[in-house]
Amino acid sequence: MTRDSEQILSINSLRIGYKSGKDENLLLPPLTASARRGEMIALIGKNGIGKSTLLRTIAGLQPSLGGDIIYSGKSIREYSRTDLARTIGYISTEIVKVSNMRVYDLVALGRFPHTNWFGKIDRNNHDIITDAIEKTGMSTLSWRFISELSDGERQKATIARILAQDTGILVMDEPTAFLDIGSKFEILHLMHLLSQKSGKTIIFSTHDLNVAMCQADKIWLIVDNRLLEGAPEDLMLQGEFDHLFDSSTMKYNSEDGTYSFITENRGEINVSGEGIMLHYTKKALNRAGFSVSEGEMLPFLKLPSGKCSRWQLIYGSSLMEFESLYDFITCISSSNPATI
Amino acid sequence: MAESHVTSGRRDKIVFILLILLVVLFLLLDVFFGSVSFTPSDIIHALFHTTKSPLNTIIFDFRIPKALTAFTVGIALSLSGLQMQTLFRNPMAGPDVLGISSGASLGVAFVILGFSANISTGGLTGLGNWILIAASWAGAGAVMIFIMSISSRIREIMTILIIGIMLSSGISAIVTIMQYFSAESMLKSYVIWTMGSLGNLTSSQLNVLFICVSAGILLSIASAKMLNAISLGENYAKSIGLNMKLSRVVIFVSTSILTGSVTAFCGPIGFIGIAVPHISRILLRTSDHRILIPGTILTGGIIMLISDIISQLPGSESVLPVNSVTSLIGIPVVIWVILRNRKYSGVF
Repeated sequence: MTRDSEQILSINSLRIGYKSGKDENLLLPPLTASARRGEMIALIGKNGIGKSTLLRTIAGLQPSLGGDIIYSGKSIREYSRTDLARTIGYISTEIVKVSNMRVYDLVALGRFPHTNWFGKIDRNNHDIITDAIEKTGMSTLSWRFISELSDGERQKATIARILAQDTGILVMDEPTAFLDIGSKFEILHLMHLLSQKSGKTIIFSTHDLNVAMCQADKIWLIVDNRLLEGAPEDLMLQGEFDHLFDSSTMKYNSEDGTYSFITENRGEINVSGEGIMLHYTKKALNRAGFSVSEGEMLPFLKLPSGKCSRWQLIYGSSLMEFESLYDFITCISSSNPATI
Repeated sequence: MAESHVTSGRRDKIVFILLILLVVLFLLLDVFFGSVSFTPSDIIHALFHTTKSPLNTIIFDFRIPKALTAFTVGIALSLSGLQMQTLFRNPMAGPDVLGISSGASLGVAFVILGFSANISTGGLTGLGNWILIAASWAGAGAVMIFIMSISSRIREIMTILIIGIMLSSGISAIVTIMQYFSAESMLKSYVIWTMGSLGNLTSSQLNVLFICVSAGILLSIASAKMLNAISLGENYAKSIGLNMKLSRVVIFVSTSILTGSVTAFCGPIGFIGIAVPHISRILLRTSDHRILIPGTILTGGIIMLISDIISQLPGSESVLPVNSVTSLIGIPVVIWVILRNRKYSGVF
């Protein structure tokens, strides 16, 4: 079993939740999952289902109510706090607000489990800190105060901190929440590099299904009170994403892995055309609540092609022409479907 | 990057050298100014002649002990303020605001008003000093435990401040009731104690104070690394390997000893604990407690020496209660901090 040696984390019948007095508030039935070295794992599930609690329990910040977490063959219970901090790093959604703290100071705190009682930063520690700052592309900002950073820069500094901690496993609770789209992809790219080049195992929660589908090697999907694991494509082929969100308003499109709102079906239209023009026309029609199908008696939409640069709608003996999809959609949305 | 690293280190060094020079300067000035005025040559004469002249007595038995007391008190209150601000992640935390000083006062009130008839604080010796200081620790510690247990449940900064203020008021109500039922002589010594005084310590009390504050300083140096982690918040602190329970105990013992010891002998001295940590943060521009702690020690000593000098009203023969001087120095700093951080977030 050579593959088993790569297994860096496994959780067995883990019971997560909160204890108040004698009452146990179990969030989910016992969970079982595993992670290998260098894997990027996306944790997906509805809000409030217990993603953050699971991540906090894995990171050892919160006691489990039962079951076990095994790191490299050893139970979490056998780790001291310092040893655990050398094994697993954690980033929460909480924004660190400390005035007068420089990026370097923040990253230096990552060395906490490796330094002596006074937290002395020697040459070796300094080199590791500098290296972590370089890897996250923060070298030019290392002497800035963290209160002066943008959201994306602050997240990079936080990741540099977890890198300086030098752990095999990185647990990140929604690392890309609150970020603009540019910073989001920078952070994702960084995470990808860390798992590929440095062999870090990254477990992150996200709401962005697209990100999870494209970036993750494996998905931990919490749905219907159970945790399913597998490659994103496996879960998709099994149809597990279909029920992830409230299915009365959202519909999952398994071809492109996106969700869309379910709108009232207002009618059917027969469309002729091909390629990207067909793709986007369909998309616009779906949004407006029309489905595309082939039927002799249906209104017929001819897409721009050749000399004709207009959308032509033919219904019975009448013909309407539209300059753009916008005009077309506006027209058919405002009119009574029966009249088309 | 390496350059800024170096320049920042150099800046710290300059600030520390300046602070040490200021400590020496104000120690000398504090010895020099008082209700009896003399010339610098008198002091030098007294320092090098051991004959028992009145001048000698004034300098060795009154001025120098008082200056050292001021310095020690400044260190103790500022350090406990710094630790509380970081522990509670609250820029407005301090021994007086959170009611820790009041707790210590209650302990002192039990000793002065309750048990030891006919003994003023100045008259306590030997074991009596330790009883007084232990009562003060117990009072400070009890309030500190209460606030810590609340703050672990309620994260709202304002709520904790309001509870601290309510505690102070409640405790002073209890003390007022005790005053009402106590004898006149005890009442007088208690009222004088509440005004705060640096000059009434006997040499044995001074020794006890030095021992206790030294212990508190050592503990706070030992907590520097923990405080750095705690400033990130409890979750992150735990995730980088901090033993939160141990840190709480160390900081709790350290702040209780520092606040309790000073309050026992010198009375409740306000606003040094809140204000000084902010001043040292402004001077050193860092969040690293390994730098902030020595910085706060020096700044606290200096501010308290300045307060003592002002309370002597140089050039006049009357003396102000040191408590009001520290309030007048500290309150503007506190107001400035509030105005600068209206949202009460990310101050330290």
